[in-house]
Amino acid sequence: MKISYNWLQNYFEDKLPEPEEISEGIIFHSFEVDEIEKVGDDTILDIKILPDRAHDCLSHWGIAKEVSAIFDLKIKDKNYKIFEPKYTDLKIEIQDDKCLRYMGRVVRNIKVDASPAWLKEKLNAIGQKSINNIVDAANFVMFDLGQPIHCFDLDKLESQKLIVRNGKAGEKITTLDKREIDLDDSILVIADEKDPLALAGIKGGTKAEVDINTKNIVIEVANFNPTTTRKTAKKVNIQTDAVKRYENEISPELCSITMDSITDMIYSLAGGEVESIVDIYTNKPVERIISVSSDYINKRLGSTFSKEDIKSVWDKLKFEYTENTNSFEIKVPALRLDLTGQHDLVEEVIRILGYDRLEEKLPEIKNDNTTNDSYSKMLQVRSKLLNDGYSEVMTYVFCDSGEVEVLASASTKKFLRNNLTDGLKESIKLNLLNIPLLEMKDIKIFEIGTIFTKNGEETHVAYGDKKNVIEMSLEEFYKKNISILEPTNVQPQNPDIGWTSVNKTFKPWSIYPFIYRDIAVWVPESTEPNTLFDIYKELGTGLLIKDPQLVDKFQKQDKVSYAYRLVFQSYDRTLVDEEINNIMTSISNKLTSLGFEVR
Amino acid sequence: MSENQKGREHPLSMIINDTVKVFTELGFEVAVGPELEDVYHNFDALNVPKEHPARDMQDTFYIKGETEKVLRTHTSSVQIRFMEEFAKSGKKPPFAIIAPGKVFRNEATDATHEMQFYQIEGLFIGENISMANLKGVLSYFYKKMLGEDTNLRFRPSFFPFTEPSIEFDLKYKGRWIEMGGAGMVHPSVLEKCGIDSNKYQGFAFGPGLERLMVIKYLMPDIRDAYHGDLRFNQF
Repeated sequence: MKISYNWLQNYFEDKLPEPEEISEGIIFHSFEVDEIEKVGDDTILDIKILPDRAHDCLSHWGIAKEVSAIFDLKIKDKNYKIFEPKYTDLKIEIQDDKCLRYMGRVVRNIKVDASPAWLKEKLNAIGQKSINNIVDAANFVMFDLGQPIHCFDLDKLESQKLIVRNGKAGEKITTLDKREIDLDDSILVIADEKDPLALAGIKGGTKAEVDINTKNIVIEVANFNPTTTRKTAKKVNIQTDAVKRYENEISPELCSITMDSITDMIYSLAGGEVESIVDIYTNKPVERIISVSSDYINKRLGSTFSKEDIKSVWDKLKFEYTENTNSFEIKVPALRLDLTGQHDLVEEVIRILGYDRLEEKLPEIKNDNTTNDSYSKMLQVRSKLLNDGYSEVMTYVFCDSGEVEVLASASTKKFLRNNLTDGLKESIKLNLLNIPLLEMKDIKIFEIGTIFTKNGEETHVAYGDKKNVIEMSLEEFYKKNISILEPTNVQPQNPDIGWTSVNKTFKPWSIYPFIYRDIAVWVPESTEPNTLFDIYKELGTGLLIKDPQLVDKFQKQDKVSYAYRLVFQSYDRTLVDEEINNIMTSISNKLTSLGFEVR
Repeated sequence: MSENQKGREHPLSMIINDTVKVFTELGFEVAVGPELEDVYHNFDALNVPKEHPARDMQDTFYIKGETEKVLRTHTSSVQIRFMEEFAKSGKKPPFAIIAPGKVFRNEATDATHEMQFYQIEGLFIGENISMANLKGVLSYFYKKMLGEDTNLRFRPSFFPFTEPSIEFDLKYKGRWIEMGGAGMVHPSVLEKCGIDSNKYQGFAFGPGLERLMVIKYLMPDIRDAYHGDLRFNQF
């Protein structure tokens, strides 16, 4: 969620620390911060709110409370204008319990207009377009408090009655973005006495849309079932900021303060006469108390925090609590739906005190030396094939055909492999082309991996060369090829585990084609063994990508013939024959000048 | 170029085997589980209910014609399978397992993301296994793999199956690198597997291994690991 630094500042009397410091605090005590971006004289923090805190932190208020706890800064009291009770004709009827609370309030004789500059600026800063003062106010309060709001044009309703009910088969609604949606009885709607007006918690419809001529409005502040809202949003394929908040579940308690805030804001931006609130709220959630002891917290953390340390956390988070001899009774704030048991409070303690206060304690593990049968078989098979000269490859599980198909994929390959052989053959083909680069005589490879058939999955092994690839189940290979006399425990014998191997560095390969030349030369028997190697290395230039490879050697009387392979490749271009010919000529000239005979 | 040259090992395989070795030396036992997993073990048993936004945290491959199957999105499913069996056998904790395995995410690939990759799942349950123990074990592991000159830090995070949940970063060659997720196993996950969460507690972790490989060997692109290209087998 995009959080405006200036917006956040409005929550505090004290000057906030710089945005970078705020971000750092949030990262180590609350959430990941994906990005910090300067927008005009504001700074926007893009904060990644995960589902556990989407109940209370998809809002500037939620983040302000975190900042308050992290930096021990006091949040200003909220002072929304209180309106005198005023008679209202508004009627609200909830026909389905997917609606947990519905607050409605009529405001008459408002003036729909452009929003003031400060409001446009705030919304722009977090990437929201300004529409008019009413819509903008509703948006602003949602991003401020986390509670979605909707406004209807009262005069476009059949009567002054709103009904929260399920849709009917054959019924349709046109949404504000001009999409026609077919309704059914799983879709909760807000309706007047004739037509649906909005998809509950998802999007408004055109019938009662607030426009520039609107005079009288109904403000909706409501709470809907998270699961059904999510299902419907998926069904009609509409994702909105309101859906995001409802599907993660927000407390119906949030409605009251939101109604106060939005009424205050609409009144100050658009004037009007404010009527009394109609509030249908039958199942008020019970107050939640969690009891937790310091011992429990310290036992799970492996820490020795004092009662005072722990109390400081409750205080910073503004938790009301009572302290007993051995435990705390915490009254869970209504919006913190993530806090359901004492284990949740352990997290609150350590994240606020700071994970850097957690020691590293290596535990002792009693081991009865159980080995996993299938894993150790895999290790033995692997070791056997490596020893037999096969190199190990890994290929993709996803391919163009097979017996098991995935429903949807980000790639075009939608099937799971039903054999390893196909992949291995491709790999052999590829590697044969690179033989000079690989400094191998032939290509022998294997793969151990899972294959998927109609009957399920199985670990296979496939191995082979350019002539032949053999594939069978790991189990079968093991029975056939691994003698029971061999030691069964082959933990990988990697001598350089740990810091000795730290300095090995991978060399990326060039994407350009290589050229290789074989050169055979007669030299007198008495010639230093490295002479040719050194000449090739020197005259081969930087384009010589591999050390010269001796591919053949034989002796005739007092002369020895050495055949070397020289592989040339550039990291930034395709080589042309001519430049390699030039290099080879200079090598030949040098060899001839030394009296060697190029064959 | 002798005929009986030993084959060349795949670097990722080397990392996996080294990883297993470090943990088994500490006393962890290897466990395995299926790659094509049922929805219960991949999600429900791990506190990720159907129709909950937490299911969107991972891009999942569902299987055509099989509504109850997915390609596992994490090796955490192996935890569940192991604990179910363990509880059924009548044995009592402590137990410590390590489960290296291939996992799948349905997302576009780039130099640091693949649709298939390896995780190493760790799980240690006992009467007093704490978050400080988690920090101790992870720190020990990365020091073994990358050298003494590494530092570990925790940041708060969220996974439905751990509480508290953390992400951990590693300081290596002067730079902080995000390595993976971990936490204390959620009491309701233990209960679902038949383990008394009032008596037993412990940690789980599940970092990716390609990440460790590219850091250790300074590799530019993890996708090279799956092309069957022997130019990749350099060590």
